[in-house]
Amino acid sequence: MNRVNIREQVSNFIALFLIQLPLLYRITLWDRAFGFFYVGFLVLLPFRISRSYLLVAGFLTGLVVDVFSNTPGIHAGACVFVMYIRDLWLKIVVDDTEELTNINYISIKKTGFTLFVFPLVLIHHLIIFLVENGGLHLFGLLTSKTILSSLFSFVIIFVLNYLIVPKSRRQ
Amino acid sequence: MRKLLDFLYRRRTFAIFLGLEIVCAWLIVSFNQRQNADFLNSSNALSARISTGSQNVSDYFDLIEINEQLMLENELLQARLNANLAFADGLSIPSETYLVKGARVINNTFRRSTNFLTILAGQEQGISPGMGVISTAGVVGQVKSVSNRYATVYSMLHPQMLVSSTVKRTDTNCSVQWDQESYDKASLKFVPRHIGLKVGDTIVTSGFNSVFPPNINVGVVSDLNLEDHMTFYEAKIKLTVDFTSLPSVFVVVHEMKLEKDSVESL
Repeated sequence: MNRVNIREQVSNFIALFLIQLPLLYRITLWDRAFGFFYVGFLVLLPFRISRSYLLVAGFLTGLVVDVFSNTPGIHAGACVFVMYIRDLWLKIVVDDTEELTNINYISIKKTGFTLFVFPLVLIHHLIIFLVENGGLHLFGLLTSKTILSSLFSFVIIFVLNYLIVPKSRRQ
Repeated sequence: MRKLLDFLYRRRTFAIFLGLEIVCAWLIVSFNQRQNADFLNSSNALSARISTGSQNVSDYFDLIEINEQLMLENELLQARLNANLAFADGLSIPSETYLVKGARVINNTFRRSTNFLTILAGQEQGISPGMGVISTAGVVGQVKSVSNRYATVYSMLHPQMLVSSTVKRTDTNCSVQWDQESYDKASLKFVPRHIGLKVGDTIVTSGFNSVFPPNINVGVVSDLNLEDHMTFYEAKIKLTVDFTSLPSVFVVVHEMKLEKDSVESL
């Protein structure tokens, strides 16, 4: 079992969460794709943390984002849900979790990273847009928003992870 | 009791999950009540300060547009001044007095399904929840909550905004509400079928609910539909305000609102 890489977690926190706050809803692609890439910080928290702490971390992070976007409860609720299913999903996607502590594109491979992060981001975005929309009306707009935004967020999370993870382990 | 506690301890992750989700649901519901002095929104001092910072950066790139808007505003004011001078000798009718206070927009969304603005004016500038917000082009929204120096404003592009308005040509009362589809259209409601509504009719505020002064532009009718079974027109209007570029707005302060509301509630 590896030790938690503090430097990586702190960089994740700064790059994914703190940078997100002033940019929330300010970068939009094709009128549809909003990047909520802060969820990457939550998803990539170390694997060994107890699930109760993960839930609380999700709630607090979501609440801070909510304050910025005038949606108290929506981001927080989506984050708590994602944090609840995160470890279950990781065990399904990644075969060997014995040695796993730090989650990044090296420790779980690039395919594993995609399979693990993208569905969680998709669920997170779906919950947010569904609740904000207040129902299933304007279904086409809702679906395109969710899919494009998730792709956008996932690309940002992947690229930032590629930049953050220390060079020494990149061989 | 012990057994219950044991059970809860074994299921603590699920219990925490459920508890937090219930808190979130409560937050969502309580925020949807119309006006409140909540701190969990963008008029919160810390989040507003960060928004101001990032707006300061993006304002540099919009300076040309801001200058153009200021020039247009000046032209409009000049025209009004000339008109007022011409009628200065005329008969004066006592009218309700509205004051406007200028404010900078530090955050504005228009592509979401619920949209808000954050403005740089709060309690210290005499802003209070429920006041109307306009720009030189027309109706922008209504103040939702205020902190000391910032205020969160319901954008016209929020499904809970219902603006009491009239068709300018026929003086028919109606309401305007956003239908969540695009940021330049809203739907026009309750125009009865006997009114000859036409594409191109101007919709202005009615001034009945003392939030907005009368005769502020809201939009222009762009789509019309009337079938045999319908009591009201199904109409869309094009909003006069361009929400994609909104560097500054005016908050409407109605000096006699309290008096008017208390008389009306008798």
